[in-house]
Amino acid sequence: MLKVTNLHASVDGKAILNGINLEVKPGEVHAIMGPNGSGKSTLSNVISGRDGYEVTEGSIEYLGKDLLELEAEERACEGIFLAFQYPVEIPGVSNMAMLKAAMNSIRKYHEQEEIKAGEFLKLIREKADLVEMKQEFLKRSVNEGFSGGEKKRNEILQMAMLEPKLALLDETDSGLDIDALKIVSNGVNALRSPERSMVLVTHYQRLLDYIVPDYVHVLANGKIVKSGDKSLALELEAKGYSWIEGLSEAS
Amino acid sequence: MITANETQSWLDSHGKLSLPGSELTWLSSQRSAALEHFESVGLPGVRDEDWRYTNLRALKSNDYQLTSQSSLSIELAPTDNPRLVFVDGLLDKKASTGISDNITRLQDSFSQVENEFGSTLPKNQHGFTALNTAYAQDGYVLNLDAGQVLDRVLEIVFVSQSADTVSHTRNLIIAGANSQCTIVERHIGADGIVYLSNIVTEIIAGDNAHVDHYKIQQESNDAFHMGGVFINQAKSSNVKNHNIALSGLVTRNDIATNLLGQGAHMEMNGLVVGQGRQHIDNHTEVNHAVPNCTSDEYYKTVLDDHSRSVFRGRIIVAEDAQLTNADQQNNNLLLSANAEADCKPQLEIYADDVKCSHGATVGQLDPVSLFYLKSRGINEASANALLTFAFANEVIERINVESVRQELTHLIAGELLSGLEELV
Ligand SMILES: Nc1ncnc2c1ncn2[C@@H]1O[C@H](COP(=O)(O)OP(=O)(O)O)[C@@H](O)[C@H]1O
Ligand SMILES: [Mg+2]
Repeated sequence: MLKVTNLHASVDGKAILNGINLEVKPGEVHAIMGPNGSGKSTLSNVISGRDGYEVTEGSIEYLGKDLLELEAEERACEGIFLAFQYPVEIPGVSNMAMLKAAMNSIRKYHEQEEIKAGEFLKLIREKADLVEMKQEFLKRSVNEGFSGGEKKRNEILQMAMLEPKLALLDETDSGLDIDALKIVSNGVNALRSPERSMVLVTHYQRLLDYIVPDYVHVLANGKIVKSGDKSLALELEAKGYSWIEGLSEAS
Repeated sequence: MITANETQSWLDSHGKLSLPGSELTWLSSQRSAALEHFESVGLPGVRDEDWRYTNLRALKSNDYQLTSQSSLSIELAPTDNPRLVFVDGLLDKKASTGISDNITRLQDSFSQVENEFGSTLPKNQHGFTALNTAYAQDGYVLNLDAGQVLDRVLEIVFVSQSADTVSHTRNLIIAGANSQCTIVERHIGADGIVYLSNIVTEIIAGDNAHVDHYKIQQESNDAFHMGGVFINQAKSSNVKNHNIALSGLVTRNDIATNLLGQGAHMEMNGLVVGQGRQHIDNHTEVNHAVPNCTSDEYYKTVLDDHSRSVFRGRIIVAEDAQLTNADQQNNNLLLSANAEADCKPQLEIYADDVKCSHGATVGQLDPVSLFYLKSRGINEASANALLTFAFANEVIERINVESVRQELTHLIAGELLSGLEELV
């Protein structure tokens, strides 16, 4: 599904990703862990097509296409979804309106008919229940005045509505109390399927107790310095990130 | 600066007019006083502080004939509401519905408005307002008795369809104590023609009267629109003015209220959408003359291409006007590097126990928000439209007439939100 090869990326001439290799197959869940500033968000942003990053070397292949050739909105229409580390507030546009606009844009891209109002309402109510979001939140402006946890749940709601093929979740666990973490994890787990792949970006092992990954990668200084299965996350938790710093210097 | 010649040629071109109501002495004396005022101030020029950013060279370079009666040449969408249609400034009776004892044309009503006509106008009015008083021959008059509630929206359409004409239209809304009404004025013009619409609406709100007044300006792209809305408010009255400027080449609006009775409330909402080389200048003034009044002003401007806007928001709180609560916000969104917004809040506060706040911002669309929408599959043009709509929506939300709200939603957000107007 996704094949990142020797990816180098920089911002304003400053190298941030220094040769990432990552392959994600359909249905797999990969966790990317790493200390603050290691490049986790940069990687998610480059995959989802955010402006301001220069890919200086390497490639990203997605479903057989050269992903770097596509605009951010085309990537989204092709099934890539980024749950933001810091979801954006958009006063003046309701959650519902944004989601309907998004669904219809994606449908249009695939030359499908617009979703019917009734069908849309039924769907969004169902998905709101999934992340235990009260219906009244649907009419509120996108993320405006939402608590940290509500924003993260809203990201998962959007993901549930847009049904991506590849979901990148950037620190979806940060700032969540244990109840919110469970709700978010339940939502994410409900969306796991043999066709849908996920990349969980996280700083803490805690999330992986709830969403169990197939693979864990450790990122340091813009490079994947170690990969393994879920036990790697526990090892990392026990030894701390200083262990990784050592690995990164050695590599 | 206007030259004597210019002033004279304006007067000459108007001179032959025989105006309705000339048998009324009070009216004749107002008209000649206005003419005298015009002769002394002339047309505004960029050397006038209040017109510094608004160049009228294009307006002055054209000659305008006074309008004469003609009938409507376009088709208007049907409506269930009472609707008066003015063509080139004069009522087209055939095209109008709902004329009644309370809803009349000025030509027929001069004798009933002696106390109100001109009562709201500022002393230091500019030349266009003076010309309007001197030459007004028609307009609508809504005269509500005490306690009368207009349960339908009163629609007024001003259509300009003759090239190189000038109309001086004067409207009066006289809302008796405890009365309520909603008026939607729409100003449209045939594409590709040059004309000058010089129009003044006076609103006299009695005790506890509720007036919701909309002005939707969609003049032709080559047209000049000089508009005034002047308001006197008695105690506990509640007046809302929604100033929506969507086209026209040069637009100037002077909107001023005098809060003359305690407990009066004024809400001024503005939405400016500029494109091409449009120039939109809004001067607002809230005059807190007595204690315990509130005013709430919210102007949003969206400018694309080479368009320009000016906003001046003046709030005057008199020495006696304690416990005034006044707020003014003016936010400008520039969609193009060539667009320019000038804003000038002007607070003059002579009382000490008051709450006055104001804020002005000029900005562009937020790139992170844009990426957020794109990452949800929304293309660049639509994402721009959605964010522009989000910006404007805080003013659109204040519109109480659903059809107007939907129309503006559609205008700004395009197809993106169609069918969703109630959800945004
Ligand atoms: N827009 C930017 N401009 C300059 N430096 C940036 C920018 N974005 C990220 N960086 C830098 O790149 C490094 C990696 O950042 P980031 O990808 O956000 O890390 P993480 O998500 O792992 O905490 C950090 O040193 C950060 O300061
Ligand atoms: Mg990050």
